[in-house]
Amino acid sequence: MAGTACFIIVSKNDIPIYEAEVGSAAKKEEASQQHQFILHAALDIVEDLAWTTNAMFLKAVDKFNDLSVSVYVTAGHTRFMLLHDSRNEDGIKSFFQEVQELYIKILLNPLYLPSARIASSHFDTKVRALARKYL
Amino acid sequence: MILHTMIQILALLWHQIVAVFAEFRRDWAEALRFYEEAYRALREMIATSTRLPPVQRLVEIRAVAEQLFFKISTLLLHGGKVEEAIAWFNRHFNSYKHLVGLDEVSFLHWDWLSRQFLVFAELLETSSAAIPNTLSSHFGTPESSLTEWEIQPAYYYQLAANYLREKRYCLDNLLSTGDSEFSRTSGKVPESVMPSVFIGQSARLVEQGDMIEVLPLSDAEYVQYALSEAQRFQDSYEIIALFRKACESFTNLKAPRLASLCSNRMAKEYFFTEDFTDAKKLFDTVSSLYRQEGWVTLLWESLGYLQECSIRLDSAKDFIEYSLEMASLPIFANGDQEIPDSKREYGPAGLPSQSRREALQSEVLSLVRGEEIVSRTDRGCSIAVTKEQPVRIDVDIISPLRMVLLVSVAFHDQSVKPGSPVMITLSLVSQLPCSIEVDELEIEFNQPKCNFIIINAVEEISAARSNGDNQDVRIETAPSIVLPTNKWLRLTYDVKSDQSGKLECLSVTARIGKSFKICCQAESPASMEDLPFWKFEGMVQTFPTKDPVLSFSGQKVIQVEEPDPEVDLILNASSPALVGESFVVPLTVIPRGHEVYSGELKINLVDARGGGLLMSPRETDPFSSGNHHVELISISRMGGDDESRIHSDKIKKIQQSFGVVSVPDLRVGDKWSCKLEIKWHKPKSVMLYASLGYSPNSAEAARVNVHRSLQIEGKIPISITHTFMMPFRREPLLLSKVKSLPGADQNVYLPLNETSILIVTARNSSEVPLRVKSMMIQSNSNKNETPYSIQHVGGVSADDSLLVPGGEFKGVFSVRPKIDSPNLELGSVCLNWNRDLTLSDSEDSGVMTEQKLPAVIVEQSPLVVSLEFPPHAILGIPFLFYIKVSNQTNLLQEIKYSLGDTQSFVFCGPHDNAGFILPKMEYVMSYKLVPLCSGSQQLPQATITSLRYSAALNPSVTATTIFVYPSEPNFFVADNEKETILAKLNL
Repeated sequence: MAGTACFIIVSKNDIPIYEAEVGSAAKKEEASQQHQFILHAALDIVEDLAWTTNAMFLKAVDKFNDLSVSVYVTAGHTRFMLLHDSRNEDGIKSFFQEVQELYIKILLNPLYLPSARIASSHFDTKVRALARKYL
Repeated sequence: MILHTMIQILALLWHQIVAVFAEFRRDWAEALRFYEEAYRALREMIATSTRLPPVQRLVEIRAVAEQLFFKISTLLLHGGKVEEAIAWFNRHFNSYKHLVGLDEVSFLHWDWLSRQFLVFAELLETSSAAIPNTLSSHFGTPESSLTEWEIQPAYYYQLAANYLREKRYCLDNLLSTGDSEFSRTSGKVPESVMPSVFIGQSARLVEQGDMIEVLPLSDAEYVQYALSEAQRFQDSYEIIALFRKACESFTNLKAPRLASLCSNRMAKEYFFTEDFTDAKKLFDTVSSLYRQEGWVTLLWESLGYLQECSIRLDSAKDFIEYSLEMASLPIFANGDQEIPDSKREYGPAGLPSQSRREALQSEVLSLVRGEEIVSRTDRGCSIAVTKEQPVRIDVDIISPLRMVLLVSVAFHDQSVKPGSPVMITLSLVSQLPCSIEVDELEIEFNQPKCNFIIINAVEEISAARSNGDNQDVRIETAPSIVLPTNKWLRLTYDVKSDQSGKLECLSVTARIGKSFKICCQAESPASMEDLPFWKFEGMVQTFPTKDPVLSFSGQKVIQVEEPDPEVDLILNASSPALVGESFVVPLTVIPRGHEVYSGELKINLVDARGGGLLMSPRETDPFSSGNHHVELISISRMGGDDESRIHSDKIKKIQQSFGVVSVPDLRVGDKWSCKLEIKWHKPKSVMLYASLGYSPNSAEAARVNVHRSLQIEGKIPISITHTFMMPFRREPLLLSKVKSLPGADQNVYLPLNETSILIVTARNSSEVPLRVKSMMIQSNSNKNETPYSIQHVGGVSADDSLLVPGGEFKGVFSVRPKIDSPNLELGSVCLNWNRDLTLSDSEDSGVMTEQKLPAVIVEQSPLVVSLEFPPHAILGIPFLFYIKVSNQTNLLQEIKYSLGDTQSFVFCGPHDNAGFILPKMEYVMSYKLVPLCSGSQQLPQATITSLRYSAALNPSVTATTIFVYPSEPNFFVADNEKETILAKLNL
């Protein structure tokens, strides 16, 4: 398990619809919302990169100190963004793939409005469990 | 060990010297190779060298590494090997980033790291010309792990700034704790410290008389020296400058989010240096991006800083705005879990959580109710809302504060009569976490007379009144005005407007406390936008009004109608109008309930089938009066005395289809009427619109309008047709008529110097009886030189003869052309008529209807055939039948003629024969016929053929019919008179 990781799902209209701080407490004192700031800024890079490749999983698109940003872009252009410090690329990829499955299940819910926030606690629990498993 | 170290140092030196030499020789590849070797040698020394005290040793190694790396990257970049340079940089960074050293001097490490980034960024920037443009195309592909951003200097500037910030944190920590070992042990900063001749080393200069000695420093002394040097340095300005550079270049690269990250950090740096104005400006720009993209947590953070800035800048209004916005943000539910022993440092706003939102709301409410708010960062700073400086916040439809208070206003109807009440529902909703109590609501309309105030019943009415100077404003009370979270507060009241026109609710102002107002622009439920942040929240969706129909279609605007007119406007037209006459439409104004002041009557004529204008578009000059198909000629007072005539003559304007006339002041019981004279030039159906605008009383400006319309058909009264005939039993040969194909053209051929008969028929095609006054043919050309003579020879007497609908009037004229012309104008038929009216005022001279006769072809006929036989015959008694052919040419004409057999007659004479006619002579064929049957009988068919012209003449059936009496008719007249009758019949 990595020291710190921040996971955000950004809808196709750039609004964050899910956020979770996964992993243990931050080492750096200055962390606070910094993670989100970095992820938000990384959106610019993702925007550029997403159209140059067929792959859904974009490896470390941005680095900040020793943290890097990995992004997974779904077919509907929803972006899963993970800020992490581990180098376990396979784990991150599996994490993203499993989260996408969960996300699709959320989408299939007829009561869920696309681009709305994911408020399901079940989803939250599952994502955190996945983070423990893979990251 | 020492030997080993010495060897390493020598190797390093040797590599470096060779590299510099190679560089001098411009052998770049060689130079690069030896610099790389030197760099590698240096890395091996890190763990082993003990030549200097540990702190200074690290400093020295870093300095040397920096020097070498600078050389390497310069060479690589100038050679265009950007990717390698970046890879080198990453290697360089990775190998030194963990060499922090002791805590006391960690700031030196961060400073050094920051410098690496800065230097590399500057190198990249200066050598950007050498970077090939094609480079960016293969980023993101498997063979290149670099992203496009890593070749941007901005990326490194930004990181340089970050590490510099890191250095500042370390330095601040060090200084604030103040208990470092070094500061205690060696309290004083050593003097005269200067960089030594060796890279990365420092030394102390000691003056001993004239001798200047360079002494090495102890680590403690060096740290003191470095600390004092670092303290002198203004890091913040450097950080801001770096971020600004990065931000500008990211903005140019169209990466607004990266730019905003830089701006955000810049703003924090300004905040740190207590430059709140600049900080606020920057935070405002970044927060607008986060607001737009819906990043609530980031917005929360930025707003927290803004809140703090506005306290420090002593702006209560801004503070309230930011606080209210924060309190109404939909924060993430899972952000609630605050870790108590977290070492994290949040912005002034703290962690976004429900409890913080509630705290913010109560803080704002206590501020507006008179308490002071103290800054979180500087206890000495505070703001307050006082009566002297009331705060008013305006919320429009794009304001982020719509979340705080959203007002939707719906009228229950779409239009209302003036003076009658209409229901209006005000719906208010707030997303603040706790219920909020409003003391007073002020509703403002575009008609200030309708404004009203709703007062919370708990509040004392007198207190509310005392603070307002507007005593005449209507005041309503509501039991309580409390806005729960996300629940519509609906208030329904009556509104009454006396002024016609648009009534629109502009805004609703909520007053909380004595000196705080929030003014919210009213929105129509029908066109209301969703709240930007709350749109996707899984909250209960409710309608602003109870009636769902009103929620979807309700408007904040209502049309106040005009008061009902109480004046009759009567338009009358008894019959359809006839083209040509000036048709009179009487118009009467009768006040029933209203008096008429400054009345104005507008008359407008419009084509009933649409199209508006009453003229044909093909006419060349649309402004000449003749081109209008229907024309308004005059509006005149009917049967009034002189005084009223003057009034009515004040026609302001009359155009062909539009007229305005002023109406005198009228009281109830008065009556005013006028005549509209309209003339039709073409048959057309026309809508006549009359509208009377007036004021019901002399003082008020509000006008009432009465509209009436009438459709009037314009019809053609009389249709005129004509026929040309030859004299009875006389047939001139017209060559061109013979040659022309039958039925091909409708031209009329007339023989020259022969008398033809013209019969003109006028038929009444209207539905009213008409009287024909006269009918004549007017020639168009000069009178004394007419190329023909026309005489009226008979027909119905044209002396005021009555023409019933469908009836016909005939005029018979003899025409004798005098010149040979292929296109002879015969003039036009003029018919003077008028309506058969028994009214006294129809003494007009009648209407002239004119119709042009078509041009005729006149030609000389070479031969004229005339048939001669008695008007009747008696069974068994022979009579003579002459066929006379007169040759009017100067040529000898040969003719053939034949007479066919019939059952009714026997005749003597040749069946077929031929003959010659001398010029200007007449050839007579005579037959003696004996009738065999009585009754109307057809004479034997005669055919005359002219050989010269190859034309045959068959006389018409009517021309060769004779009545055969069975015996001598008895006319019961005297013998002498019988002869005269017979003689007349013989004519």
